Amino acid sequence: MRSNVSPIAAAIAALLLGAGFAGPQAPQADDVANGRRVYLEVGCFTCHGRSGQGGNFNYPAPALARTSLPLEAFTRIVRSGPNDMPGYPASVLSDKEIADIRAFLRSLPGRQPLDQFPLLNQ
Amino acid sequence: MASRRGDAIADSRRQFLKRATLTGAALASPALPAIAQQPPPAEAPARRVPPPNLAVETEPPPLDPVNQTSSGGDFMVDVLKRLDIDYCAINCASSFRGVHEAIINYGQNRKPEILTCPHEEIAVSMAQGYAKIAGRPMAMMCHGVVGLQHAAMALYNSWCDRVPVYVMIGNIIEADKRAPGAEWVHSAIDPAALVRDFVKWDDQPASLQHFAESAVRAYKIAMTPPMGPVLLSLDAELQENPIRDRDRLRIPRLQKVVPPAGEPGAVAEAARLLAGAENPVIVVDRYARTPDGVARLVELAEALQCAVVDQAGRMNFPSRHPLNQTFRRAAVVGEADVILALEMNDLWGALNAFSDRIVRRSRPLVTPATKIITINSRDLSLKANYQDFGRLEDVDLAIGGDGEATLPALIEDVKRLVAGRRAALEARGRRLADAHRASRDQARADATIGWDASPITTARLCAELWAQIKDEDWSLVGNGLRILWPQRLWTIDRHYQWIGTSGGAGIGYNAPAAMGAALANKAHGRLSVAIQGDGDLMFVPSTLWTAAHHRIPILYLVHNNRAYHQEYMYLEAMAVRHGRGVTNAHIGTTITDPNVDYATVARGFGVYGEGPITDPRELGPAIKRAIAVVKRGEPALLDIVTDPR
Repeated sequence: MRSNVSPIAAAIAALLLGAGFAGPQAPQADDVANGRRVYLEVGCFTCHGRSGQGGNFNYPAPALARTSLPLEAFTRIVRSGPNDMPGYPASVLSDKEIADIRAFLRSLPGRQPLDQFPLLNQ
Repeated sequence: MASRRGDAIADSRRQFLKRATLTGAALASPALPAIAQQPPPAEAPARRVPPPNLAVETEPPPLDPVNQTSSGGDFMVDVLKRLDIDYCAINCASSFRGVHEAIINYGQNRKPEILTCPHEEIAVSMAQGYAKIAGRPMAMMCHGVVGLQHAAMALYNSWCDRVPVYVMIGNIIEADKRAPGAEWVHSAIDPAALVRDFVKWDDQPASLQHFAESAVRAYKIAMTPPMGPVLLSLDAELQENPIRDRDRLRIPRLQKVVPPAGEPGAVAEAARLLAGAENPVIVVDRYARTPDGVARLVELAEALQCAVVDQAGRMNFPSRHPLNQTFRRAAVVGEADVILALEMNDLWGALNAFSDRIVRRSRPLVTPATKIITINSRDLSLKANYQDFGRLEDVDLAIGGDGEATLPALIEDVKRLVAGRRAALEARGRRLADAHRASRDQARADATIGWDASPITTARLCAELWAQIKDEDWSLVGNGLRILWPQRLWTIDRHYQWIGTSGGAGIGYNAPAAMGAALANKAHGRLSVAIQGDGDLMFVPSTLWTAAHHRIPILYLVHNNRAYHQEYMYLEAMAVRHGRGVTNAHIGTTITDPNVDYATVARGFGVYGEGPITDPRELGPAIKRAIAVVKRGEPALLDIVTDPR
């Protein structure tokens, strides 16, 4: 059994993570709980939804559930804020809190197979 | 808002009586103390207290009539009936009591029928929604000063939305005819000045013949694209005084309104550009005035096999048409070599990306080589003060004319020019159809996220509602969501299935406008549903009373995110920019503590109410129960606690 994951396998894993399937490493429970707390407290949910389903600010705010963004990229986005999203300084969100938010988002169920939803197949 | 001119007269009568009584009492009272040890004076003649002059107190002065067999208001009703106006939404006021009484008695409260509204804003918004379904205006009446001030924001919405609303206000022009008190603070020399910047035309007729001509002119102006609200100020004396020489009054004919069409040469040039394009795109906003408009746009798009982006100012293009690329706007306009923009409210906003940051920047979404053609009736009539016309976009061909009226000529020209390019166009159409399917599949997949969550996701709300209405003859008469889930998930293919939004983004539009649209739908037996923001409802909750009182069947689903949510997000953005107090953003923006119980509010206004619903599994059965109420001809409301967006 391989102990190192090949680059191709890693890319596939990231893709599958974004599509809502279980990844190879689950977030730590404390990080997830703290991430959820901060996500709600700081107000990320107001644009991106409590379930990470996305929303709308001045433009559509993307769905973040099961995000496949690496931590570095995720942190960069939170700090700089693309489009109209504000950039969160360290005084508002520490690096640890950003990591925990990402852990929380990756723990969410995300998109599910459509055949389980009769109302969406009308 | 009512004041009583009669009270002023009664007051003056009471003052006279008081003075007469005091005078009599003074004459009768023993004013001097007794003087002892003096011989009694010779007997004075008896003082007579004059009796009250009942004739002065109870009878009008001689020569003034107390009854009348005609009034100017009656003639005004004759004119209104000629205009074929079905309803007149009012908040009653003394300044138009003359025409109000004439409507309900002389006119028998038919055409127009009075609709009682607890606020003038509700009356105007109701008229705005009604016109978008009925295709013709509702009248609205209010006090010329304080009532018009209340109505102003809603009038601004209808102006921005380019919807006809026929407004009449009461005023007392002659100073010597105003009773003291309210009639002075409620009169103005030029009451329409308050709203002139956002009504299309106004007048203050000085005679009944003047009224007749202005009333017909106002209707024609309101209904000629670009449509808009119009206003007539009705002098109270003109309304109330008897008519002299009725036989000499004449009501002009109401001519058929012919919308202006684009200049034929320009239309031919537009056709040439579109037919020769590799990636033409049609962007459309407040275009379809009638079902014909939808059919014509489909015909044009199919002739060109081009992308259509519907900005949803009206129902312009079927949501499931393979050429509908609405949710790929940035991508398709970025690839376009020719863009046709039809009746756009904000063309610049559709073709550019703008960043709301400390330094505000923008960048075009289109390439420098992209040719842009506009067909817009709004170009024919603009005002300067209010900036609803949006930022100027650089265009190559600007055609002033009504989109729907111009399209037949454009279609004919295009079809002639594309006749030999069928294979290439069909290939383009297939690519767009594939992209449309992918976009739709993405929407359905996105809707599964948080499906069972509480607060309920807006996607779940819309999916559950669709399940209950899809087999009905339904009409979405209002949508307070900022995400177009109905357009993403539902099959919307009839003109009346969506009516657009407020126009001016003035809050307090959705509830009454939806009610007005529902009233127009009632004649067709349609099921009217509205997704209703809680913040919007808080501005005009008494809308629900009007819906109950007038038996207007409509289902409100309150999208209750317990906040003025857009502003909540803005406050967060401001706080984050400053690196401070982001957890305070709820102050001044949320509607909690206490949570409003909209179901109880509804029941208090006589409307069936259920909620708050927090479990998504309860949604379907609750919607079904509420629809049963609406099908009985009554309004219903469900309070649904939802996620913010």
